[in-house]
Amino acid sequence: MHPINWIIVVAYIAYVVIDGIRRAKGTKELEGYFLANRSLPWWAVGLSVMATQLSAVTMIGTTGQGATDGMRFIQFYFGLPIAMVVLGVTLVPFLHGARVFTAYEYLERRLNPATRTLASFLFLCSRGASVGVIIAAPAVVFSAVFGWTLPYAVALIGVPTVLYTMIGGVQAVTWADVKQMVLIVFSLLAIVIVLLVQLPVAPGEALSIAGATGRLRTFDFSFNLTDTYTFWSGVIGGFFLMMSYFGTDQSQVQRYLTARSVPEARTSLLMSAYWKIPLQALVLMIGVLIFVFYLFQAPPLLFNPAHESAVRAEAGAEYGALESRFNEAWTERESAARTLAVSEGAAGVAAAERFRASEDIANGVRTEALDLANRVTGQPSRDVNYIVPHFVLTYLPIGLAGLFIAAIMAAAMSSISSELNSLSTVSVIDFYRRWLRPDATDAHFLMVSKFTTAFWGLIACVVATYAATLGSLIEVVNRFGSFFYGSILGVFLLAMIPFVKPWPAFFALIAGMVAVATVSFGAPSISFLWHNVIGVFTVLLAGILLSVVAGTRGAGANPG
Amino acid sequence: MTPGTTPAEDRRRFRRTLVRVLLVQAIAVALLWLLQYRYSG
Repeated sequence: MHPINWIIVVAYIAYVVIDGIRRAKGTKELEGYFLANRSLPWWAVGLSVMATQLSAVTMIGTTGQGATDGMRFIQFYFGLPIAMVVLGVTLVPFLHGARVFTAYEYLERRLNPATRTLASFLFLCSRGASVGVIIAAPAVVFSAVFGWTLPYAVALIGVPTVLYTMIGGVQAVTWADVKQMVLIVFSLLAIVIVLLVQLPVAPGEALSIAGATGRLRTFDFSFNLTDTYTFWSGVIGGFFLMMSYFGTDQSQVQRYLTARSVPEARTSLLMSAYWKIPLQALVLMIGVLIFVFYLFQAPPLLFNPAHESAVRAEAGAEYGALESRFNEAWTERESAARTLAVSEGAAGVAAAERFRASEDIANGVRTEALDLANRVTGQPSRDVNYIVPHFVLTYLPIGLAGLFIAAIMAAAMSSISSELNSLSTVSVIDFYRRWLRPDATDAHFLMVSKFTTAFWGLIACVVATYAATLGSLIEVVNRFGSFFYGSILGVFLLAMIPFVKPWPAFFALIAGMVAVATVSFGAPSISFLWHNVIGVFTVLLAGILLSVVAGTRGAGANPG
Repeated sequence: MTPGTTPAEDRRRFRRTLVRVLLVQAIAVALLWLLQYRYSG
């Protein structure tokens, strides 16, 4: 990468860290450190909510998915806008009005300490591991693309983030998120403009070519429990997933607990309701346009440079033969794409057929190359995450490439910082202060909070280093989260029902997790999006039935 | 319920917000549908 690009990346990291440390001024007590004294404006909180959800996986993985699979992933988010509106009248006023530090504190206030402790323990387990995965995703790509060792790549992302999160608290996290979100959106728009300028065909022709491969097919109305990306799994399963994520996950709840008031907290979530789907459409469309771009600019046979050099060294002759076959296929595909771009009517249909046939041949050769890389390296060789970095580093102008690499780091850091901040909050408020030192001073808790932020940062970096080498660990982390996400939402909803009693709610939470685990192991083909639906309804049903059976209807616990 | 508002005000605000969000999403979905219809047949 050009030195100017590196200067931009280093300047970005330095700016975020220095600005974060500068914001430590307003965090002299616990409420300032964890909740910014509930003083932040809705637009800053809203951008922080969006930045927390948007990680480096979105920047490199989702764009790559757009290039290989098209726009249909966007269906995953169709339940989000409705979830935000429903949260605005359910959990947001309850949690913000309760003046709590953590969502789980509310569970003890309304139910009992056991439910609070179990929910917060599950949060620590899942988020503690997933923050490592969020570091691992870009670190693996950076180490392959720039030739760094993995621990170095992990440290480059993890250490600055831990530093500003630990010193500046939620103020630093939120205001860094605002700047990071602006950088991310700016760099995404810049890459679209560069793509449109560099494509040798008009935008409409590019879309025709992408459409011929099915990459613009956004909607799948089939009702299929095993497919994650259908309209119904997005609207129904996605609705409950987003309700759980934004309503009960401390990494998001803490964002809007910092808002000045309930209406501002609600408005901050509505920012996502309005902008999340258009933003995801932009991210996926970048992938689609990069796919079209590589129809006219010869792509590498393998996008992962580390795998490519390993395969060349170990199986050079076999790889060379594959490359010459791929070049032939690419030449035919490029010619077919140019014909398709200018064809209409019956000629257009024939051109589309020819293009699809050449696309199948090129994809077949690429699959053989990926299998070869898998045999040689012994690692998963899927290279979706390397498509966008290859485009950025090869074809973006000097300066813009550095900006996009900084944006990938910004996306990672904005998610990591929020999660470290929330992990520290739950550790201190729900465990240390609740069970170990309830009478300690604010200054003591503040010191412990900074220590726990550093502790979780260290755990995240260790998990990232191992998650990167154990590809299946990432899947385990994602699957583990889906075991109880819906169940925890269920117990929060139970807490809002006046006649539900504490222990029935606790056992309902256990029942929900058992039900999801049973479905997960008994019918593993069912998409994880439906696990949330199963968890929510099992907990609600079990909690209400157990409360009725216990004969406690009308005993009247206060839901506020 | 939002502190400082009546349940009726809350319900009205919820309905208004829901309609606005659904309207914006309907426009986004319509554009995506148009993209699919125009270019994927």
